[in-house]
Amino acid sequence: MSIFSIGLSGLNAASAAFNTASNNISNVYTPGYNRQIVDLGELPAAQGVHVQGIQRQFDSYIAQQLNSANSKTSALDAYQTQVSQIDNLLADQDSGLAPLMQKFFSSVSDLASTPSDPAARQGVIGSAETLSAQFRSFDSYLSDMASGLDGQLHDEVTQINNTAKQIANLNTQIALAKAKQGQAPNSLLDQRDQLVADLSKRVNVRVSTQDSGSYNISFGNGQPLVSGGKQFDLETMPSAVDPSRISIGYRDASGNLVEMQDSTFSGGTLGGLLTFRDETLNPTRNKLGQLAVAFAEGINTQHTQGLDLNGDPGGDMFAVGQPLVYANAHNNGTASMSVAFDPANASQLTASDYDVRYDAAGGNFRITRLDTGESTTATLSAGNQLSFGGVTVTVDDPSQLADGDHFQVQPTRIAASGLQNIIGDPAKLAAADTAGGTGNNKNALALQALQSQSLVGGSASFNQAYASLVGDVGNRTNIVQVNLKAQQSLSDQLTDVQQSQSGVNLDEEAANLVRYQQYYQANAKVIQTGSTILDAILGLR
Amino acid sequence: MRISTQTLFAQSMRSLNQQQAELSHVGQQIASGQRVMRPSDDPQAASRAVQVGQAQAITSQYTDSRVSARNALSMEESVLNSVGDAVSSAKTLMLEAANGTLTNADRASIASQLEGIYQTVLGQANATDGNGRYLFGGYQDKSVPFVMSGGAVTYTVTDPSQDTNRQQQIDASRLMDVSDTGSTVFQGTRGATGFMAVAESGNTGSVTFKGRPNVVDSSDPNFGAPFKVAFSMDGGGNATYEIQDGSGAVLQAAQPYQSGQAIQYGGLSLTLSGTPANGDAIDVDQAQNLNTDLFKTFEKALAILKQPADTPAQQAALQNTLGNAMTEFDSSLDNVLMVRASVGSRLNELDVVDKVASNRQLNYAQTKSDLVDLDYNTAISEYSLRTVGLQAAQKAFVSMRQMNLFDLL
Repeated sequence: MSIFSIGLSGLNAASAAFNTASNNISNVYTPGYNRQIVDLGELPAAQGVHVQGIQRQFDSYIAQQLNSANSKTSALDAYQTQVSQIDNLLADQDSGLAPLMQKFFSSVSDLASTPSDPAARQGVIGSAETLSAQFRSFDSYLSDMASGLDGQLHDEVTQINNTAKQIANLNTQIALAKAKQGQAPNSLLDQRDQLVADLSKRVNVRVSTQDSGSYNISFGNGQPLVSGGKQFDLETMPSAVDPSRISIGYRDASGNLVEMQDSTFSGGTLGGLLTFRDETLNPTRNKLGQLAVAFAEGINTQHTQGLDLNGDPGGDMFAVGQPLVYANAHNNGTASMSVAFDPANASQLTASDYDVRYDAAGGNFRITRLDTGESTTATLSAGNQLSFGGVTVTVDDPSQLADGDHFQVQPTRIAASGLQNIIGDPAKLAAADTAGGTGNNKNALALQALQSQSLVGGSASFNQAYASLVGDVGNRTNIVQVNLKAQQSLSDQLTDVQQSQSGVNLDEEAANLVRYQQYYQANAKVIQTGSTILDAILGLR
Repeated sequence: MRISTQTLFAQSMRSLNQQQAELSHVGQQIASGQRVMRPSDDPQAASRAVQVGQAQAITSQYTDSRVSARNALSMEESVLNSVGDAVSSAKTLMLEAANGTLTNADRASIASQLEGIYQTVLGQANATDGNGRYLFGGYQDKSVPFVMSGGAVTYTVTDPSQDTNRQQQIDASRLMDVSDTGSTVFQGTRGATGFMAVAESGNTGSVTFKGRPNVVDSSDPNFGAPFKVAFSMDGGGNATYEIQDGSGAVLQAAQPYQSGQAIQYGGLSLTLSGTPANGDAIDVDQAQNLNTDLFKTFEKALAILKQPADTPAQQAALQNTLGNAMTEFDSSLDNVLMVRASVGSRLNELDVVDKVASNRQLNYAQTKSDLVDLDYNTAISEYSLRTVGLQAAQKAFVSMRQMNLFDLL
């Protein structure tokens, strides 16, 4: 009778194979689906065939490579999306800052031509208003981007937490199934690998597989995100260094929220956003602010040297956003600092932020320029002041400083947002030098000459500084675009490799269907033949 | 390698997307006419374009500045033209008035003609531009520079810091005077104007001089220093003269005076005629140290023309004053013409700078265009190429879709 059981085993195997092919066909476009093949085995003592298992075609090595490539790609993609917005902002050559600065100086030149003409004076005020409004709108565009970015960081963190939670759940289910059946269902494994792939696009993580079949997922610095069935939450939090900045916090096993360095996140959308913020957005705002301060201080210094139409000394023409200083939230001391521009050293003003660290043993401060990493030490001068980089910092009460206290100084971050023309009365424009007189245009000429002087950082004219800002953003965008293209093609290539292993090919499945159909028919034939043989025997009379 | 069905589609889509993106990029370039649409398209070029834009803006700023400079200078030139004409006719009137046969009434009529010219010149000196700003007021361009009161014109811009030419930046490195002050035009003398003799106002005799002192020896140690020819009567009632300096100290002892005799001192020779009275004096000095005010000259001439010239002393005063007035009108005219010439040369300079600047503008425009503008030939051939690429990708997709084993089963 074994011919029937052999035939039956073949029929079973054939239908299993048939099911697998059908399942492959139906999941041809399912994300995360890995092609399955039937693993057939010979039954001992020529008893037919049996289905050893349904194997999913999954190579964890390739999957890891692909995930890490995708992580970089989505970081660059997020970066590119953001930086292109600044790139587009600077694209319009007619409404940028350069033409408006030119218009301002052109109106000053008109003032020099006809110093007592009310129309020429009004022209200067008008162009000063337009220029400062454009500075502010440029800055508010950037600060809107910054707050939009904070929102995105929050969303990313929520998504990461959700995904991590699902992975942790699957870990539990898979471990359970494995313990019960020795083998977890392929669909759970597919789901979990798909979640890991999704997670990799949001943040760069490391995956290690435990003996239990669980995935442990951790960040670059080793802190675990998922450990077996347990998941750790990320949260957004104000940075200790600068409370106006959103950082990523990590809720550890004992429930403490620990701030993580931005540099921990190099990949994924999260990493891309943080890199963009630290590498392009804030420096661009600082540069814009530096230009605004140099412009305002340059014009004000010259303007106050002249006399207005009433014969009074000129006042400041522009107000500008003041520098910021933040005491680190972890400081042990309670001393606070205030900061102001140092007009005497205006040319030293940079577009960088500074870290000021108190060293109790030396009784001095280490001042680190954050963009270049250069550092110097300084001691408090009279009035508890420190002067560096075109600003003066004042400590309210040095006795309250503790060793290792940090302060972050941001000289020009919000400077452009506060740029404002503060002269409304045309008669208050100081076109004359100290000799006075309605026809005296000496100071207007001196103001006009400022446009060619190197007043930004002592090395660039206003326009050169703006040109370098345009060049910087352009370069940055260009580099990101080129890198993204290269990284995208690497991702595509790895996807192809992964698909060549795990993807479903319909032609192949069509062929399999034909093959398994024949296989089924052949086995049915075996049973029929067995029946015929049996009939023959039964028919012997 | 196995190719999964998804890969087949993904690859086709990828190539379709890429071809479409590139086609649309070239399309945008053609539509905008710009090769560099965003700084990232070519950061160096974009940044340089900003700098070239600045150069263009500054150049056109200076061009605007030259327009207003030309305006101011042209206006000044036309005023100087009329002032020059007026001074010439005043001098002609002086020549007429010096004719000894004229009666007091004739002179009074000349005086009224001269009065007219005087008012004309005063009007020109207080000329304004179209917007009520005085051309010759220096930095005080809102108040009348020349004020007539009590029959005399005074220049109100007495503060030297205000009596200053206005300047304008007409090119990167050229600050040009675009006005001349009233003191330069109406009270100045330019260059060497020689020496003048002036009869003192208290003279009661009839000594006159003809023209200016002649220079006979410019190497004389006293050459150029002012001196005074002072007359007195000796015991015999004969006229003598001595040479004194400004404070009355004797430089040369008394000598007998003879009418028509040339008096020499300090390298100068002066021929005096007529009869002096005791205490009469003639002052000799360089012209620029004496009266250089055009209005004073008018006033002096008017005053003397309105006086009767009946006695020899009055006639002498008339001759002497008219002679001085002529000399002064001459040097004022020279002065006005010099200022006018300088205005003219500034106007010429503006034309030259304009030409240079317009060449420069062309260069800048070319440079900027080279940096950011599109080469249409390249762009259009690129566009056709991309169109072909996209069509090929679309064809490939369609034929790939049709190749399916299921269709054949």
